[in-house]
Amino acid sequence: MDPIQKLIKEKIERELQARTRRHFIKECAAGMGGLAFGSLFAACDRKKAVPQPTGRKLTERDLNPLSVLPPPNMSRIKSVIYLHMAGAPSQLEMFDYKPQLQKLHGKPCPESLLEGKKFAFIRGIPKLLGPQSNFKQEGESGNWVSDYLPHFRKVIDEVAFLKAVHTDQFNHGPAQLFMHTGTPRLGRPSLGSWVTYGLGSENQNLPGFVVLISGGNDPSAGKSVWGSGFLPSIYQGVQCRSEGDPVLYIEDPEGVSRDMKKRTIEAINAINKEEYARYADPEILARINQYEMAYRMQISVPEIMNINKEPKHIQEMYGVVPGEESFANNCLLARKLVEDGVRFVQLYDWGWDSHGTDPSTAIDLGFRNKCRDIDRPMTALLLDLKQRGLLEETLVVWGGEFGRTPMQENREGKEMGYMGRDHHGDAFTMWMAGGGIKGGASWGTTDEIGFSAVEGRVSVHDVHATILHLLGFDHEQFTYNFQGRPFRLTDVEGEIIHEILS
Amino acid sequence: MQKKITVALFGVLLILAIILLWNFLKPSDPVDFSAEIKPIFNKHCISCHGGVKKNGGLSLLFEEDALGPMDSGKAAIVPGEPGASELIRRIKAHDPELRMPYEKPRLKDDEIELLSRWIDQGAPWGKHWAYTLPDKVDLPEITQEAGFLPEKDQDFLQNGIDQFVLTRLKAEGLQPNQQASREILARRLALDLTGLPPNAQLFDAWLEAELPYEGLVDSLLASETYGEKWSSWWLDLARYADTKGYEKDLGRTIWQYRDWVIRAFNKDMPYNQFTLEQLAGDLLPEPSMDQLIATAFHRNTMNNDEGGTEDEEFRVATVIDRVNTTFEVWQSTTIGCTQCHSHTYDPFRHEEYYKLMAFFNNTRDEDTPGEEPALKFYEEEDLRKVEKIKQWVAKYGSAESARKYRDFLLFNEPIYQAHTATGFKNGELSDTKWLSLWDDGSCQVKNVHTHGASSLLLNYWSNLNGTEMTIRKDHAGGEILARFRIDKTRGRIIRKIPFKPTNEELTLYFEANNDGIPKEAGTSFIVWFGFIEDLPGKGEPGYTEIDNSFLKLLNTQTPSLPIMAENPHYMGRTTQVFERGNWLLKADTVSPATPQVLNPWDPEWPKNRMGLAKWIVSTENPLTARTLVNRVWHQFFGRGMVATLEDIGSQSDPPSHPDLLDWLALRFMHEHQWSIKGLVKDIVMSGTYRQDSESSPELYERDPDNELLARGPRLRLSAEQIRDQALAVSGLLSDKMYGPGVMPPQPEGIWKSVYNSQKWVESKGEDRYRRAVYTYLKRTSPYPSFVTFDAGSREVCMVRRTVTNTPLQALVTLNDPVYLEAAHQMAVANAIPDDPDGTISRLYQKATFKKIDDQKLGVLKELYTVSLKEFRADETSVQGFLSLEAPTEPEIAALTIVANAIMNLDEFLTKS
Repeated sequence: MDPIQKLIKEKIERELQARTRRHFIKECAAGMGGLAFGSLFAACDRKKAVPQPTGRKLTERDLNPLSVLPPPNMSRIKSVIYLHMAGAPSQLEMFDYKPQLQKLHGKPCPESLLEGKKFAFIRGIPKLLGPQSNFKQEGESGNWVSDYLPHFRKVIDEVAFLKAVHTDQFNHGPAQLFMHTGTPRLGRPSLGSWVTYGLGSENQNLPGFVVLISGGNDPSAGKSVWGSGFLPSIYQGVQCRSEGDPVLYIEDPEGVSRDMKKRTIEAINAINKEEYARYADPEILARINQYEMAYRMQISVPEIMNINKEPKHIQEMYGVVPGEESFANNCLLARKLVEDGVRFVQLYDWGWDSHGTDPSTAIDLGFRNKCRDIDRPMTALLLDLKQRGLLEETLVVWGGEFGRTPMQENREGKEMGYMGRDHHGDAFTMWMAGGGIKGGASWGTTDEIGFSAVEGRVSVHDVHATILHLLGFDHEQFTYNFQGRPFRLTDVEGEIIHEILS
Repeated sequence: MQKKITVALFGVLLILAIILLWNFLKPSDPVDFSAEIKPIFNKHCISCHGGVKKNGGLSLLFEEDALGPMDSGKAAIVPGEPGASELIRRIKAHDPELRMPYEKPRLKDDEIELLSRWIDQGAPWGKHWAYTLPDKVDLPEITQEAGFLPEKDQDFLQNGIDQFVLTRLKAEGLQPNQQASREILARRLALDLTGLPPNAQLFDAWLEAELPYEGLVDSLLASETYGEKWSSWWLDLARYADTKGYEKDLGRTIWQYRDWVIRAFNKDMPYNQFTLEQLAGDLLPEPSMDQLIATAFHRNTMNNDEGGTEDEEFRVATVIDRVNTTFEVWQSTTIGCTQCHSHTYDPFRHEEYYKLMAFFNNTRDEDTPGEEPALKFYEEEDLRKVEKIKQWVAKYGSAESARKYRDFLLFNEPIYQAHTATGFKNGELSDTKWLSLWDDGSCQVKNVHTHGASSLLLNYWSNLNGTEMTIRKDHAGGEILARFRIDKTRGRIIRKIPFKPTNEELTLYFEANNDGIPKEAGTSFIVWFGFIEDLPGKGEPGYTEIDNSFLKLLNTQTPSLPIMAENPHYMGRTTQVFERGNWLLKADTVSPATPQVLNPWDPEWPKNRMGLAKWIVSTENPLTARTLVNRVWHQFFGRGMVATLEDIGSQSDPPSHPDLLDWLALRFMHEHQWSIKGLVKDIVMSGTYRQDSESSPELYERDPDNELLARGPRLRLSAEQIRDQALAVSGLLSDKMYGPGVMPPQPEGIWKSVYNSQKWVESKGEDRYRRAVYTYLKRTSPYPSFVTFDAGSREVCMVRRTVTNTPLQALVTLNDPVYLEAAHQMAVANAIPDDPDGTISRLYQKATFKKIDDQKLGVLKELYTVSLKEFRADETSVQGFLSLEAPTEPEIAALTIVANAIMNLDEFLTKS
């Protein structure tokens, strides 16, 4: 038995002994005497509002805040991989096929559409911009997908599309916060933090909530999109990197061997146990536990972050380049992480803000390249999860923080050199695949130019409610008390999107 | 056996009989609304009949709503007549369609009885304890046993605090711990007061009893490191950071405010003054530079430079943040709830939020990239010139004009920002920031006041020669007010341009013409323009010199700091209620006022931020002093007397020691005259604070959070303390104070903000080893090891850091080069040749301030011996040890391993 387990066991045994001795005296006295005194002294004003300290037994969570908790309801999935395209990709060149928009290409946008609308950069009357890609119906479902994503058609029947998601934020930072924390303002926990807080993690040698970044930049809202807000910081996302230390400070320093680190930790813990005997502070037990976990993480994190050991055909399937920071590497890592029991894997890929200000943000150039960069890896991810039987217990979510306009951007009323689209939150596409998801489904339709929802309009809160539902939570009951009130990820909104559930 | 049962049964019957008799004969006890009725309402009723929903027209939040008629015309509560009260009828109803709480279990009998009795007594609507403050609190008397106090109690009773604590302990049948050892006490005290371990000299003097405890306390309070420690706490509340936040998260110069806070703590500025200067320093009669710097408290709000964002939206967000932060910081009240609806649980109304907002809605800042108004820090010589101009204006004009000139020179206000321009033709608000007209372009700016000025001050830059700009009255055919030529500039300039004097409110029509430049090329980029009344004393000797000096100073580049400045009346904004909190849905206009439930408004106070600040620090305010006492207490004990540090109100936990909280609050205001050091000294002088923190599993189980204070505090150190301590005990720590944020080593590739090329440039020399409070804080990417130890990103006000215990923390103190360097330095500085036992004992003593015991020495010696063997056996491991430049002696390397272990001990990371 490892020493920490032994220590906990000893403590629990000692408690049990103590309890049987004191049980009758203490509990019964409180029960009966308490009643009598309660009524005798009922008249002393606010002093009676003074609370009794609520005695608390140590639970496993006191020693290890990431220990597994069962979900309150039946769950369909164990883990989540969330692929966020930071900058917001154009649904109109990927999944939301609008032939009518093609016909209207170059025509001025009807003014009725613009009334009361605000855009980040579009001013005056912009022109409509037809889809720059060609669409085809694929798979048994016959769902549409563009030729910007030639591989993705292979898995089209695995995914369920939401084609009319809406958000009320049209700047990147606030919209990303909304998408990941349920509010455009700062200070709330992210989706991954909620989930890790609620369920813990299956693998105690790895962080429970891992963040992987590609595209050269952090998402606009910064590290707050994987922050834990008012939840304890152990539930915040841990960024694992392809370059440098995979997790900050995980590498032993030069000249210090594994054995030496092991002995160091053993010495620390031996002295800490002595400390516990004197102070009886459970935080010391927790610290002993955390140092052992740190030691194990030092072995398991570099191991799991090393994709060189993956078979050649798997590497090729994803299109990885070991040692570089890429979306392909991160997709492969995401699979490895959920395979090893990590609860929530969050990917951010930056570079989707296709305004058309230069070639890299042109819809037909830079954007097309971005599509090519993700097409193969995300297809491989679904296929790989499936062939390992993991897809049925994993949820894969794909989306941006909003969508793009059917109009061509005319920054400050000027004509622009490249084709670009402005930010647009009225209707955009997301997809989900995996456990509990009805593969091949498509819910929500937009009008003939893809500007607004016609049917099946769903909100960011609805998306959250659905993800939590699949994990076994009732989003209305899953709360945390802060500032004198219970907080929810979905605030006071959110409805489960049953149309895409199997 | 049978006899025993009979006796027991008889006993039970006797008790029951007494209870019944008592209940029968006792007078009808007055029911306490706040303690007994309000909790029932909050738990069972308020979610449907409160501040958000008012089903059936009933709200139980405010007295007048609860006692008034409902939609049905009936009254829920008829004082004195439970039988006629609909509320009682409905909670007793048998029909589930009628019974309240609807679709929930029936209330308990005693709850129904309590409600009936309360209505019978006239339904008196008490104020929650948090919203009234007693005039006086008496010290509890300690019951003496046989005429004298037990010796142990006498040791414990050091001041008034202990009388309250001991009274509660006795009521719980508990004893306080004995006093902690001198070693432990010195370390605890030094860490609490200065954030650092004690210095050797002070420690020795105390240990050898040359210094009494009070002397130790006074020395530490007088030390400059005191201000550095306590500012970390305040800067969390002030949301201080070195960047603007949001997407671009560009740098901002605001460290002068951080230094102001450190100095204010060190000179023990009274808390009421500390409050006034931060909330309204600019509104003081003749604000000093320091008092203007203090107002940067509310300029720590974020500023959004992301392209395509509307400045007004983020200006409003900023004002909302100021309202919320002010109430979180000074009133422990989450007023933010009332932004969208009346408070769910506490008696604050929806419109009251906007009345508070009206106090803050009239400052000049408008979410512009330059963060105007910004205070300029002139060189000494230039500052004298400013003073000279002021004196000139005072001499030939008026004192009021002199102030206007000084303000304009110090922070360039009032001005009109480029984003006030509308109606662009052949022009644009370039990058949604700057007024830019192309050839044949025009735009308008409305509601401009020039005060008869005969010149316009224009801040702009241009990349093109030969533009003619015309400013007309109202429209294209309007009277010409100014016409001037714009040529290429070297960067931004402020120019003085002749302007037709006029005294009415104007709409300015801007035109630009420049043939032969590319289409859609900006002729110029205007940042702002403004007017100041003409310099008086024309014709007097020296006039031209003064006039030139004014313009020259305006164009002098200086460091600057965002501050608060109030709108002049003619630029005033009206404040309207936002329906459901949406800033685009504006409803009724409101004027500044404070919430009804709190202390009354003194008509002498001005209805602006100054008045609000005075209302906050009024000795009648029930929350200001309690909030501060509760939070300072938390700094020492890790738990506030009100555990919900963010919230003192009807949803908060009741205080563990209500009378002590009030006693300290009153004492803080009246006896200490708002001196924080006075309060701090009261706390650390108490026997409660000086207790040993030893405990038993049984006591932990009974009182896990040390609410009863039967033991001394035992808490993990803060992020700042952990780093500062490591640097201090190894001798690396620099004592350099103040100045711009520094960049100690952090791993590569941490900063990756969008559209931002700013880099982490590692500091050199002693700046690598400064105290953590000086570390540059980038909001979207704070210093990684601090975040791991629960420091925040300071994007919003943080009242409390949740303390966690994670494996990532272990990785920081085991592997972060900062900690390895400290361990190595410690080994080098303390090594005694050929005496590993002596050296290890010394290392341990230096780190923990305690003597090592044999068992610990044994463990560490073993680690040393095995490590040494390994280093000796493997030449390469000492060659590149810790990536140091020179090879390390195997003995030093092994000692470094030991020092690293010591610096990871729980007792090192914890204050006990």
